Amino acid sequence: MSKTFFPSRDLMRRKFQTGIVVVSITLCVAATLFLLLFSSEIGIGISFGVEGRLSAGLSTVFSSFLILIEILLFIIGAVIVSFVSFLMMSQRTKDIGLMKAAGCSNERILYYFRTELLMVTFLGCFLGVIFGVLADFVLINFFSMLGVQMQRVSVNLLFVFLIFIAFFFMGIIFGGKPIYDVIKVEPAKAVSPTYYHGLNKGPSFKPISKSRFTMRIALRSLYRHKSATIRIIACLALVFVLVTVAVAGGVIAEQTSENWIERAVGSNEVLIANQEVCNQYELLLSKFYTANQSSGLNYTQGSYLIPKDLLSQLNQSISGISIDPRLITETNITEVPGITYNENTGNYTYTGSNREGEALIIGVEPGQVSTDWFTDGEFLQVGQHWEAVIGDSIAQEMFSEPLNESLIVSNGPRSWEFGIVGVCTDPINNGKVIYVPLEDLQDATYVPLINNATNELGINMILVKIDTSANYKETLNQIRALVDKTYPQFGVLELNGLLDKSVGFLNQIWSTIMFLPAFSLAAASICLIGYVMLSINEQRQEFGILRAIGAKPRTIIRIVSEQSFIVLLSCYAIGIIGGVSLTWLVLVPNPLITGLGMAEITGWLLIALAATFVFALYPAIRFSKKSILEMMT
Amino acid sequence: METSKTAILVSSLCKTYEVGDTKVEVLTDVNLDVKTGEFVVISGASGSGKTTLLNLISSIDKPTSGKIEIFDNDLSDKNEDFLAGFRCLNVGFVFQSYNLFSTLTVAENVAFPMEWVQHPDAQITKKVEELLELVGLQHRADHFPSQLSGGEQQRVAFARALANDPPLLLVDEPTGNLDAKTSAKIIQILRGLKDEGKTIITATHDEQIFTLADQKFCLENGKLENLE
Repeated sequence: MSKTFFPSRDLMRRKFQTGIVVVSITLCVAATLFLLLFSSEIGIGISFGVEGRLSAGLSTVFSSFLILIEILLFIIGAVIVSFVSFLMMSQRTKDIGLMKAAGCSNERILYYFRTELLMVTFLGCFLGVIFGVLADFVLINFFSMLGVQMQRVSVNLLFVFLIFIAFFFMGIIFGGKPIYDVIKVEPAKAVSPTYYHGLNKGPSFKPISKSRFTMRIALRSLYRHKSATIRIIACLALVFVLVTVAVAGGVIAEQTSENWIERAVGSNEVLIANQEVCNQYELLLSKFYTANQSSGLNYTQGSYLIPKDLLSQLNQSISGISIDPRLITETNITEVPGITYNENTGNYTYTGSNREGEALIIGVEPGQVSTDWFTDGEFLQVGQHWEAVIGDSIAQEMFSEPLNESLIVSNGPRSWEFGIVGVCTDPINNGKVIYVPLEDLQDATYVPLINNATNELGINMILVKIDTSANYKETLNQIRALVDKTYPQFGVLELNGLLDKSVGFLNQIWSTIMFLPAFSLAAASICLIGYVMLSINEQRQEFGILRAIGAKPRTIIRIVSEQSFIVLLSCYAIGIIGGVSLTWLVLVPNPLITGLGMAEITGWLLIALAATFVFALYPAIRFSKKSILEMMT
Repeated sequence: METSKTAILVSSLCKTYEVGDTKVEVLTDVNLDVKTGEFVVISGASGSGKTTLLNLISSIDKPTSGKIEIFDNDLSDKNEDFLAGFRCLNVGFVFQSYNLFSTLTVAENVAFPMEWVQHPDAQITKKVEELLELVGLQHRADHFPSQLSGGEQQRVAFARALANDPPLLLVDEPTGNLDAKTSAKIIQILRGLKDEGKTIITATHDEQIFTLADQKFCLENGKLENLE
């Protein structure tokens, strides 16, 4: 007999078992490769789509989310392929034992079964790659047709090849382990079910004495196949970590990022400024969601400054509002490197260089700010001077360690140094903004606190926050009437509309990204189907015995479904804890969890649980329809 | 003991298997009438169809044609749920290869057919003890099947078949793989069951079992011949 004849003939004659393994590996490789390609395309699509928009901090949240998911996807794919190969070869230990007993040499046994493993793993991985690329191609085109933000890129063949190689070798290494293990043991041991089932003697194990018969069988079987059960739980738990990161991470990151924008723009905020400044401010805020270019404006010219009288009338005649005076301008800034002294070495370390650039700079009264930013570090404090909080984009573009550095504002021959105390997420001017104390900015721009000759204040905009206790529309109308009557060249800009557009833009990006949880859920279901098929195959003879002795077909379905449910619940518990921890610790700084968010996450995860469970029932239902003799032989 | 009532009536039974393009006719026009409490022995060469006949009578396989009535129930038109319930309560099957549940202990293997019919736990425990005592395996209650000898597994299979006290017992080659001493124990069990009034059909070559028989048949070329 030719050496390769036995493995190929053996595989062909075990069509059903071989088919299950090839299908499982194919589905897993295809699902993983598809998700990896798909998530890259979503990422690239978003990068192209948001070019010149969004702020650096938010882009970082999106990209770290996608990277984390891609890493998890790869690990899960590799683990499942290894698991399936391992399971396939574990089921052959009895055959190996019989061959050893019949006098076959270890070398020949190794050759036979390694060849079988190579054939099956190669075929599964190869088909998986083909189907994965095809699924990606079909779905990307489909979503593009629907207008979803995605970028069609040519398939990176090197990447696909690397995935193939990685999965193939993982399958070979882990699938080879049981072969090497079993050739070391005596033939009598290898052919014993106690060995090849990995049975743990546990007669004292009484699951729940009052539980139903099927539950007891399911629990006993899982308990006594302890090693296989632990392996599948570890494997599926990883899948559910991915599902949880994708679902919970996606929801939390979406809500957190939206909250950052809401806090920075402020709700129920109204801007009062010269009409041109109003237009400019609108343009600066809309840069977050449209690729607008703002034109230069001499912000500090006299006609833009707020008359003292306007501020007084606002304070006196309108109740239920709080006033946040600001001075906005553009200026040249220069990075000042930070110096750190190392006490152990006695050396000074310099961070950063002397990068220069233009930035929007806003002077605020720290005690009167009506908006609130998500800030790394701290915001400006009352009474503190020559300190600055910079936007996330400028921090990334111009500074190495912003919180350890300073910046210089230059105006003509003079310059002023501000120590950076915080980095905030702000949509205005795509995060290229600096907040400093109002008084200091007035100094630096030579704008007096009040011009006694013209009665103009040293501010060019007022943010008015309408209290939630006040009637918003009525108060807004009062403000408009006052401004129109007293200073018609000034305008009133409602910021709620701009806030809605910014949040809507974020929503649009997240809704594209949230395809990933849906697909990762499908991948999880496929993995579970693979597991259930293998598990049924392993127990088919025993299910046949049950049926022969009088069990109804639905008893078999119930046992399989209860086993799947127990495995699923265990995996879910681990997956949710792992996924939420990853989201909390790695993905989103200071995550925001709202009641609605919790409900959304719970809903998604319950759908995931139900969907995977229902999918897992399919092979059990099909199996229960087989004839008893077919099950037993 | 009532012996006149028909327990099993097999009429014009045929079974054909298809192996690729080839049709193998295993049973041809088999007829059998077994009265309640009778002990029937079926012999025949290996591959003659003895196991197939027992599978068909127990309803775990379906005939190609013909009719099987057990305790006045025509099984040919019944659905799987009915057949499962019928087997559970009326038919005890001792398979040639024992077919014990490898992940259940001896006691659990004996107990589980009773658990389906939801006997109280205490009753199940008591019955398991009685059955294991009957087959002499009380001391093996907590062992797995793989830790037992062939004879011991055979006796567990008997205990399991008797769990729900079925009136019909089908036994496939009960002593085929056993030594003389163990065979004697099995025959002793069979004799006890016959004395209890169970209807028993066994496929065997064992001359000692023939001595218990009320009816003897031989399967040859798919046909059942009465040896009386």
